[in-house]
Amino acid sequence: MKKRLFIASVAGALLLTFGMAGSASASGETLEGCLLEDWLEEKGHLDGDHGDDHGGEHSALHDEELLKEIKKKCIEAPSPILPEVNEIIWGGGAFLVLLALMLWKGFPAVKKIMDERSEKIASDLDQADQAKADAQAVKSQYEAELADAKSEAARIIEEARQQAESLRADLQVRAETDIAEMRTQASVDLEAARERAMGDLQAEVADIVVGAAERVVEANLDAEAQTRLIENYINQIGSE
Amino acid sequence: MSEERIIKYAEAVLAVASAENDGAEVEDELFRFARAVEGSDDLRLTLSDAKIPAARRQQIVEDLIGDQATSATTALISMLVAAGRGGDIQRIADQVVELGAASRAKAVAEVYSVIELTDDQQIRLAASLKSATGKDVEIKVIIDETVMGGLLVQIEDEVIDGTVRTRLKQLREAF
Repeated sequence: MKKRLFIASVAGALLLTFGMAGSASASGETLEGCLLEDWLEEKGHLDGDHGDDHGGEHSALHDEELLKEIKKKCIEAPSPILPEVNEIIWGGGAFLVLLALMLWKGFPAVKKIMDERSEKIASDLDQADQAKADAQAVKSQYEAELADAKSEAARIIEEARQQAESLRADLQVRAETDIAEMRTQASVDLEAARERAMGDLQAEVADIVVGAAERVVEANLDAEAQTRLIENYINQIGSE
Repeated sequence: MSEERIIKYAEAVLAVASAENDGAEVEDELFRFARAVEGSDDLRLTLSDAKIPAARRQQIVEDLIGDQATSATTALISMLVAAGRGGDIQRIADQVVELGAASRAKAVAEVYSVIELTDDQQIRLAASLKSATGKDVEIKVIIDETVMGGLLVQIEDEVIDGTVRTRLKQLREAF
């Protein structure tokens, strides 16, 4: 915005300068204007001095010489260095006006714009510094939190590892205990089975032996044997 | 039937037997009949079956005993069966024997044997038992084939076992 205002001020100053110059040039300083203006001026003096015409040839000759003289006068170029007085006046006035306008309005505006721009840049720089500091603080905080998170993660991993190790040890101990119990139980079961088998075998042997004994006894327990057993019983009771 | 009623029946039987001056023989015959009933489930159920008329049950008793017992014994057993106590004859007979022995200051020795004991054997056995237990006993022989041989004597709660059955059992347990 201020840049465009500055460009507009410069353009206004240039327009005012060349416009004023244009006004000075339009005052009849071209060759044709100069010839016409001087011609009319000379003819007016002549008409006023002679009042009537004394002869046609003399008048034409006089006009031709006058025109050559006027043309010579008009063709003579102005000084390439020193402008006309009126141009100096108009140009100087315009310059002074422009200078005054610039000093009055332009320079303060430009200065204000520049100051505001500087202040804004300084503010932006301050804000950037503050933002950088904030970002640095946030970065530091994040780094600290990251470090804490890493530390926490490491601690959790270590705890998990220790728990897993403890669990593995417990399971191993339990498995070993179970295996020992199973071995003991298997040994007990085996011993019990062996004892049962031995018991069954003994019972079977006892059945066979006792059965054989019963058959032998029954075969030999006749009346005489019964009487003898009774007598033995009576005698044994009596002797106790 | 309650123990008290058993005792009263036993006392009544003893009173009748005493009145007949044949107490010991009645006790012995009643005891033997009771053992016979004990060894036969059919006989025990028949004598205690209330659906069978009392006269029929009495007839069965008289037919079974025949002339193997005194008329007093037969009459007493017939009376018990007619009174509906056929199922309690064993308990009544045991109580009669105990009360009779007690009246003579003796204990009952139930002797289980495969064969009958002679009178001499019973006398010597009673003497041996008195020597062993210090009690005067009356021998009541019970024929029991399961003892296989030898004797088993029970005096009240005391048992003296000298049977072949027990010897074989000990032999079996020794294996």
